Amino acid sequence: MTAETMALPRTTASEVPPRSRRYRRESLLAFVSRWCVVIALSVIFMGPVVFIALTAVMSNDQALTSELWPHSWHWDNFATVFQKAPLVRYFANTLLYATLSTALMLLSSIPAAYAMARLRWKGRNLAFLAVLTMMMLPPQVTVVPIYVLWSDLHLTGSLWPLILPNLLGDAFSIFLLRQFFLTIPQDYADAARIDGCGEFAVMRRVILPMAKPGIAATAMFSFFFAWNDFYGPLLYTSENPDQWTVSLGLASFKGLYQVQWNLTMAMTLLVMVPVVVVFFLAQKSFVEGVTLTGVKG
Amino acid sequence: MKRQRRLAGLGAGLALVTLAACSTGSGTGTTSVPPSPTTKVTGTVEFWHFFTNREAAAIQSAVSDFEAKYPGIKVNVRGGQDDEKMLKAIAAGQPIDLALSSTTDRAGKFCQSGSFKDLKGYIDRDKLDLTQFPQAALDYTQFNGVRCTLPMLSDVYALYYNKAMLTAAGITEPPKTLSDLTADAKKLTVLNPDGSIKVAGFVPLMGFYENAPAHFAPAYGSKWLNADATSAIGGDPTWQEMAKWQKDLVDYYGLSKITKFVAGMGEEFSPDNAFEKGKIAMAIDGEYRSAFVQAEAPSLQYGTAPFPTGDQHTDLFGGGYVTGNIIGIGKGSQNPEAAWLLMKYLTTDTDAMVKLANSIKNIPTTKAALASPNLQADENYKTFLAVFGNPHSSTTPSSPTGSQYQDTMADFFTKWQEGKVSDIDAALKEVDKTINDALALATGP
Amino acid sequence: MTTALAPGRAVAVSAPLRAKRRRHRLTVLAFLSPWLLGLLIFFVYPLLATVYYSFTRFDLVTPAHWIGLRNYEFFFTKDPKVWQAVRNTLWLVVILVPARMIFGLGVSMILTTVKRGGGLFRTLFFLPALAPPVAATLAFVFMFNPATGPVNVGLKAIGIEGPLWFNDPAWAKPALVLLGLWGIGDLMIIFLASLLDVPREQYEAASLDGANSFQRFRFVTFPNITPVLTFGAVTGVIAALQYFTEASVAATVASGKANVGEGIGSTLGYPDGSTLTYPQWLFVKGFSDYALGYASALAVLLFAVSVVFTVFLLRRAHAFTPSEESLR
Repeated sequence: MTAETMALPRTTASEVPPRSRRYRRESLLAFVSRWCVVIALSVIFMGPVVFIALTAVMSNDQALTSELWPHSWHWDNFATVFQKAPLVRYFANTLLYATLSTALMLLSSIPAAYAMARLRWKGRNLAFLAVLTMMMLPPQVTVVPIYVLWSDLHLTGSLWPLILPNLLGDAFSIFLLRQFFLTIPQDYADAARIDGCGEFAVMRRVILPMAKPGIAATAMFSFFFAWNDFYGPLLYTSENPDQWTVSLGLASFKGLYQVQWNLTMAMTLLVMVPVVVVFFLAQKSFVEGVTLTGVKG
Repeated sequence: MKRQRRLAGLGAGLALVTLAACSTGSGTGTTSVPPSPTTKVTGTVEFWHFFTNREAAAIQSAVSDFEAKYPGIKVNVRGGQDDEKMLKAIAAGQPIDLALSSTTDRAGKFCQSGSFKDLKGYIDRDKLDLTQFPQAALDYTQFNGVRCTLPMLSDVYALYYNKAMLTAAGITEPPKTLSDLTADAKKLTVLNPDGSIKVAGFVPLMGFYENAPAHFAPAYGSKWLNADATSAIGGDPTWQEMAKWQKDLVDYYGLSKITKFVAGMGEEFSPDNAFEKGKIAMAIDGEYRSAFVQAEAPSLQYGTAPFPTGDQHTDLFGGGYVTGNIIGIGKGSQNPEAAWLLMKYLTTDTDAMVKLANSIKNIPTTKAALASPNLQADENYKTFLAVFGNPHSSTTPSSPTGSQYQDTMADFFTKWQEGKVSDIDAALKEVDKTINDALALATGP
Repeated sequence: MTTALAPGRAVAVSAPLRAKRRRHRLTVLAFLSPWLLGLLIFFVYPLLATVYYSFTRFDLVTPAHWIGLRNYEFFFTKDPKVWQAVRNTLWLVVILVPARMIFGLGVSMILTTVKRGGGLFRTLFFLPALAPPVAATLAFVFMFNPATGPVNVGLKAIGIEGPLWFNDPAWAKPALVLLGLWGIGDLMIIFLASLLDVPREQYEAASLDGANSFQRFRFVTFPNITPVLTFGAVTGVIAALQYFTEASVAATVASGKANVGEGIGSTLGYPDGSTLTYPQWLFVKGFSDYALGYASALAVLLFAVSVVFTVFLLRRAHAFTPSEESLR
């Protein structure tokens, strides 16, 4: 982790604009109290991770006591987790769910977002309104008929009911992609059109390359959503442990395998790690995406 | 692994005839049964059950014996499936051939909705002798005259006590009434220097491990439902006796102190179980616990006895809560003939049943297996066999709403032990109303 | 939604132009078709079907049976738990959402003042937001375990007897709020970006006018970040209306009854229904009790409430669609 790990898209950390001379001279008291708050916040934000890690390497007996520092270090707990629960399978399922749904989402949502951002047609605003509505309504509103639909197709008990709908567009992704597409100047596309490119070619050759960061961010959101999803897998796969995702496996781990806090925390840590790794690999576009969801007016 | 299995139906037989008038949808499983297969039955059986870990291994071993006996049949076993998941899978049309449920709670739902096939055709065709099952087990495996399940092993609840602790506290024999139990629990409780609990004589919190209204009900002879499946709770004063006994002991410890104590305990079905670890001196639990102790804490000095009764109900002593596992053929079964063969094997083969009973210490559900000389019955197991055979033992009745009425009662107890109930009469009337309203929604016109 | 042009105008235009327009319409349709299909299959149809099912008794095994308004009657007069679920969900809207807003704004305002190591602290403060909700909840239930968790151990060390947190009906929801505050990162980043966007000159002008720091916040910062605050509040409310995962995991794990034997349905809401949210109750009714007709009635009512919030948000759609102009 370097000091510059989280650069914001518009203003990077080092470029915090200089304030006027008058308030740059702050009192010692203000300086100390500000740093006290910052350090306290750091402890609050990072403390849980430390406790998780410490507990993860405790012995069974100690995990049932209130002593916080491990008497002996049980690194084998991490291996034990893999023996207790089919963690590899959970990871594989989650990866499949996250990857496939992200890929299908891009395939179906990019053209729709493009049409809503860059093409002129009657009803476009209405369509965008529909996207916003779909994005905002709780999924529970439509869950019963959709569940019945999948059960008629004999696809409950698998992750397909969560993956396949992405083939038909995902409202949040369409919204996000549209926002990105709108930021690309129209001139480039017009130039391409004058050169005789069809709309599809314009989208593929002109807009998509320029919207790469936006597409990456949207893909990451979709991936993280699937990776973290609990409700969907609980609804569709709870009866079939072969199809469980890490979230479902982790939530059931303590009760199903009757383990203590040490192993539970070891698995918790294992589930957190991949997300953090992906984040550090792609944090720039991710932060950009988070910022853009709350687009400034 | 069983926990909190609640309703069953010793009283189900008599209770449900009247329901026929208002129930919707009849058993749709009454499909015609093919004539006895002339060729050897082969194929795959998808078998779901709820056991996990050590107990699942025992089931697997019984299944392997079956496969050895019928070489043409392969069984895919899937363990750890609770009722909710099973119902979900069957409802969604997944091809489950055979399903073993840990509780009789949903027998009514399974049979009434047709989630499980009606077995009548198979039973008649193969002339299966139903009298080999105890009457109680026969009752809780059918609903409204539709037999869609058979009993496969049962569970019996009684008192477990830590002998060393009782001796150390100068208690010579386990309590026979709940007042005695409370007095002994107080003597057996040990506090830490800071006032927190180190060892609890008996944890009275509802919801803790096997503490459930259903498991305590036989101690007072408390009645759940009327013949028409409406609630009998408000009209039965014994529920208030139970509630008062329970709350007195909760108040003795202090709700927050005992909740905190419980929060620091190991998982019920792990080697860190509080009774096995010596953190509680007495507990109500099923016969299977002795198999866990044997496997996980073999040096524990413990004894078992019928659970104490309410002070006014000493005549009931010797009885206890009885429930069973039930097994049925899913409505979407692809290979019902093979499933039926496995079902017959698991429910009626004396050797198979005795072997299972010996390894997971459940109580067999055929008369032949109960009488088998191969059944290993030590002192503790005999306690449970005796409770099983005791006329005062009872189970929870079957209802078209499944375990809803017990959940409602459990909710009442949660509020009650928190001291949020000021008028217990009114609160129990409210319980009646909630149960009856739910029944009306589930079965009305 | 139609892509057709007004017929009156179509008559007047020349044949090649008409052909071009038809081609354009087809292009638009081609781009939209997957989404349009999705709109019909996964939105319009289910909405209508939900309304239909809400008038039936339906368990997925036997066919739906028309029972008129009885599900709604049960909802309003007989359901013993639904009002508790409604209250809990409203509690989350009223407490959790503002708490996150205030905390997120506070943290991001402090971050704007940190010059050295700003990036590091941003990362530290943001990271918890990445933790998968199930993992984060488990960690919190462990930390706040009244007997063995570090929080109460720490409190005891300074002489405070900590509450029972996830095991106490009065403290379970506040504990969930703390969990929500821990994962403040996403909101913090949005706020921070917006704060850094406030034109510097406005602060300087205000200072010259003698404004104190509160006045500078009130008259400079606040008006500039209002759109983002609105966005945060409305999306927060939407998230609160769907609150499911954290409450489910906290209840099942804290109750000690997690998952074996009876499924998740009987443990949701522990302790004493204090964490039972509306979507959870819908889940219990629909997919634990298989009262799908009644669950549909719950869904219809949830729809009605969500629509109110959605309309409110769409009215402020400019917060979402800043660059509509750039289309020209």
